[in-house]
Amino acid sequence: MPAQTLEQHATADSAESAKKADKVDFKMVTFSLAGKEYGIDIMSVKEIAKAGRFTYVPNAAPFVRGVYNLRGDIISVIDLRIFFHLPAERKQEEALESLIILKVDEHVFGVIVDGIDKVVGISSASIQPPHPIFGDINVKYIKGIVENSGKLYIILDVERIFTLDRAEAPAQKAVYDKGEEFERTERELLGQNAADVAASFVKETLAAFRGFHVGAVNSAWFERRLEEWRGLRKNEDMQLREASEADQFLEGFWSPCTSVLWDEDYAKAVEAVLPDIETKNINVWNPGCGKGYETWSLACVMRRRYPEARIKIWANDSDLLAISMAPNMVFPENVPTYYSEYLVKGRNGLAFVQSIRDSIFFEFHDIMNPSTLPPLDLILCRDVLSFLPAIDQKRLLGDFSEKLKPNGAVLAGSNERLGEGWTAIGSEAVSAYRKD
Amino acid sequence: MRVEYINPFVEAAFNVLREVLQADVRRGELYLKSTSMPVMGVAAIVGLAGDVEGRVLFDMDKPSALRIASAMNGEELKEMDDLVKATITELANMITAQAVTKLHDLGFRFDLTPPAIFTGENMEVSSADVEALIVPMETPQGKIEINVAIRERA
Repeated sequence: MPAQTLEQHATADSAESAKKADKVDFKMVTFSLAGKEYGIDIMSVKEIAKAGRFTYVPNAAPFVRGVYNLRGDIISVIDLRIFFHLPAERKQEEALESLIILKVDEHVFGVIVDGIDKVVGISSASIQPPHPIFGDINVKYIKGIVENSGKLYIILDVERIFTLDRAEAPAQKAVYDKGEEFERTERELLGQNAADVAASFVKETLAAFRGFHVGAVNSAWFERRLEEWRGLRKNEDMQLREASEADQFLEGFWSPCTSVLWDEDYAKAVEAVLPDIETKNINVWNPGCGKGYETWSLACVMRRRYPEARIKIWANDSDLLAISMAPNMVFPENVPTYYSEYLVKGRNGLAFVQSIRDSIFFEFHDIMNPSTLPPLDLILCRDVLSFLPAIDQKRLLGDFSEKLKPNGAVLAGSNERLGEGWTAIGSEAVSAYRKD
Repeated sequence: MRVEYINPFVEAAFNVLREVLQADVRRGELYLKSTSMPVMGVAAIVGLAGDVEGRVLFDMDKPSALRIASAMNGEELKEMDDLVKATITELANMITAQAVTKLHDLGFRFDLTPPAIFTGENMEVSSADVEALIVPMETPQGKIEINVAIRERA
């Protein structure tokens, strides 16, 4: 009897997964480049065409084949094979090339491919992330990999490919400028010298092994560490081959007292850096609090620094296991004396007193999702930004500045720099910033 | 979503489902979702108001809803009739009430709204600015997703 139920279960499961796969919510135009199959989201594709005799543009990057008159619109034509350094056969002058006309924002481009296949509908749930070390094409231009009727398709992220310089590029650009733009991209892609290649490789492996992303907040540290690393490795082989090497590389990045209660020196240093706050109600946000050690430490530090105020700390983490343990933290005997007045002896060891407990709300929350917090006086966010992709780092910093009261401060990781829009108010031991 | 709120919902869902279905119930991995999400086909919703505000949504597909209602009533139900709807509504009520009772014991005070049930194809719910905790429950009758979106009253 149990066997039968199991079987029923299995068929129900497979039916369910089949249903999932059947749900087509992503369509892509597939084509081939140098014998491999690729796909582009159909929403970016304006049309497909056969065309030839492109008008040559002097001084353009090698992969810009020229410009083309598409029913009155002049579009630039890019040879994707050359762009990705794949072998491309040069056709006769008169021969027609297969052209996919893409529309990315307002720009219309033509890209030359070997052959256009068809439109394939897939379920976006079946798209798998690209492997960081992915062969011919730089992984940042790949959206994902998908299997469809026995073929593997590499889905290209056209927005990434064609909008790298969007911030600088004015909406309307002369074709000539465009050529230059791509030349820059090309240079970036190629990485003019081997050192750049090695650096970008280290960046990518750090992201793959440890989710550490080099961005504006930590690039200064990264550059310094890379130099050191080069010295350590005698320049022969800088690459990180396994997670333990990534850990080695990241040694020294971490802020003091990570995953323990802050020791007396650090707690005092934080206390010294905290700005004067006039209001009676102090609101603090501690995103990425992990197991909660830093939240408890901060609560005690703040209780000392602002004895009169009503302090509220919202501490979040997206790791359910870590955050679930945080509210009921107990310690064996050896706790820095700094905290002794806030601890009481309980059944299982030392626990924090009720007034400290009441000041903290531990929440299961993902910082990438919206949250509702009152205007904040302080944000404690040590070594969290570095584990978000560069674009999310930027977004979160914007979020910080929006949520902070004027004069509000951020305590960042020791090796993190917030950059524009923030004034450093920290000391040697503590990296702190005030909103401009 | 405060850590203290999570367990009462998970436990209540587990206990009530196991009791009413008299079967082996498994809990899936909890996760967070930003607000907009598709609904599988049958959704019972219970609102919360008081120290916290928000809602709890019980989401399942139609065949599962029929099987669960059949199991709870001890008879074979084939159509989405009033009895089925009332049964699912009652299930939602039982789970939420038990969770709220547990929270009450921990010192959180809030009330429930009467449950409402929605059925249809291609539905989506969204509530601005609240992230939802998803508690997937696997029963022999099918999968139920319990979607809890509550926040502290500002």
